[in-house]
Amino acid sequence: MVNLKSAIPAMVLSFIIYIVYTGSIGPYDILTGAIVAVIIGLLTGAIVVKDPGKTFDPRRLYWLIKYTIWYFLVAEVKAHVDVIKRALSPRMPLNPAIVRVPYYVETDYAMTTIANSITNTPGTVVVDIDYDRKVFYVHWIDAKTSDPGEARKMISLEFEEHAGKIFD
Amino acid sequence: MRASELFVLVSIIVFIFSLAYITSLGGLGQLPPVNVRLLAQRYLELTWNPLKPFMSSSGYESVTAIVWDFRGLDTFFETAVFYGAIIAAIAIYRGVKISGKGRTTGMSPIARTITRLSTILIPTVAASIALHGHLTPGGGFQAGSVATVIVVLIIMVFGRKALIRKGMTKARILLFRSLGLLGIGFTAVAILLAGTALGLNAYVFQNQPKPFAPLGFPKLYDGMILGGSLLLFNLFEFIAVTAGFTLVLLLLSLGEEEVRGVVEK
Repeated sequence: MVNLKSAIPAMVLSFIIYIVYTGSIGPYDILTGAIVAVIIGLLTGAIVVKDPGKTFDPRRLYWLIKYTIWYFLVAEVKAHVDVIKRALSPRMPLNPAIVRVPYYVETDYAMTTIANSITNTPGTVVVDIDYDRKVFYVHWIDAKTSDPGEARKMISLEFEEHAGKIFD
Repeated sequence: MRASELFVLVSIIVFIFSLAYITSLGGLGQLPPVNVRLLAQRYLELTWNPLKPFMSSSGYESVTAIVWDFRGLDTFFETAVFYGAIIAAIAIYRGVKISGKGRTTGMSPIARTITRLSTILIPTVAASIALHGHLTPGGGFQAGSVATVIVVLIIMVFGRKALIRKGMTKARILLFRSLGLLGIGFTAVAILLAGTALGLNAYVFQNQPKPFAPLGFPKLYDGMILGGSLLLFNLFEFIAVTAGFTLVLLLLSLGEEEVRGVVEK
C-alpha cells in the first residue's frame, strides 16, 4: 500500500499546509510539522499521487502559479463584473440554460480544475458530469449558444489549456 | 405605526430593561460571588508563570491548562463518559458484520478528486490543532472533531465500503481508540509510577514538579515549549476522539438491511 515515491509529494504538501495553518515557524513547529507530514504522506501518498514524476516539474509549477494569479485576478474579476452588471440592470438581461461543455484533458486533477474553475466564476455552474463521454453540464446565466464546441470556447477553453499544462 | 404596535414595542423595551435591572440587583438568584472571579484570575495568572513554578502549568493556553492540569481529573471522567457512550453504541451493534465487499457508487469524479486531496489537508490541520493545544486555542477534542470531517467525506463521497477497503476496519479503529485511552491513562499516572520506582514522592495527574515531589514532565527544551503533560494528553485525546467518532460514524452508516439479521434474532 505504501508507495514511497508517491508519499514524498504528499509529505511536502502536508508540511506546507501545517506551517501555513499554524502561522509560525519556530523549531517546535518545524519538528512537529515534519513528523506529521511524514505520517500523513505515507498514509495518503498512494491515494493522492498517481504519477510522482510530475509533481516537482518546474514547468508545471510555473503554469500553476501563472494560472492561479490569472484566474483570481483576471477571470474571476471579469465574471464578477459581468454578473454585477446583470444584477443591477433594470432590464434583468438573463438568458439561462444548461449547456453541454466537452473537455479533452486526461487526468482527474485537470478535469476537476476545469470543473471547479467554471463553478467558481459567477454566472456558470457545473451541475453534472458525464465522465464516460467527457462532458460537463453547465448552467449558464447568459447562454449565448447551445453548440457544445462554441460553449467550450466561451466558457472553459482558457481553463482547459492551463489545466492541461499543469496536470496532464 | 399604529397605537397597538407602539404598545407592543414599548412593553418589550420596558420588560427587557426591568429584567436587566432586577438581575443586576440579584432579584433572580445570587450573582456570582467575587471569589469565583478571583479563581478565574488565579487561572490566568498561573497558566504560564515562571516566577511561581510550583503552582503554574506548562503551556500558554489557559483553557487547556484548566482542562488537563488544574482540573484534569474532571476531564478524565468526562472522557470516560464519552467512551462509555461509544462502548454502548458498539454493544448495540454487536454481531453486525461490517464488510467492505460489494460495489460502491459514491459521488461524482469531481467530488472524489477533491476528497482525495482533502485526505492530506484535513488530518494535517487537525494534527496542528492537537499539537498546538498548549499554545493556541484548540486541543485534542477539537482536533479529533476536525479529523472526523474527512471520515464523513469519505463515507459520503466514496461510500462506507471504500473506507473499510482502505484498511479502516472496525477492529483497527477499536485498536486506535484503545491506544488513545491507554495513553491518557498512562500520562495521568506516569509521574506517579516514575516516582514510585525512584522512591520519590509523586502525585496522580502530576504535570510539573511540586514541593517535595521533584519529578515532572518536560516543559521547555531548547527554547521549545513542550507543554509537559498537556501535549501528551492532547495527542492521545486526538487519537481517541478521532477513532471514537469514526467508529460511531461507521456504525451509523450501516443500512437497515445489514442490521436486520441481528435485530431479528
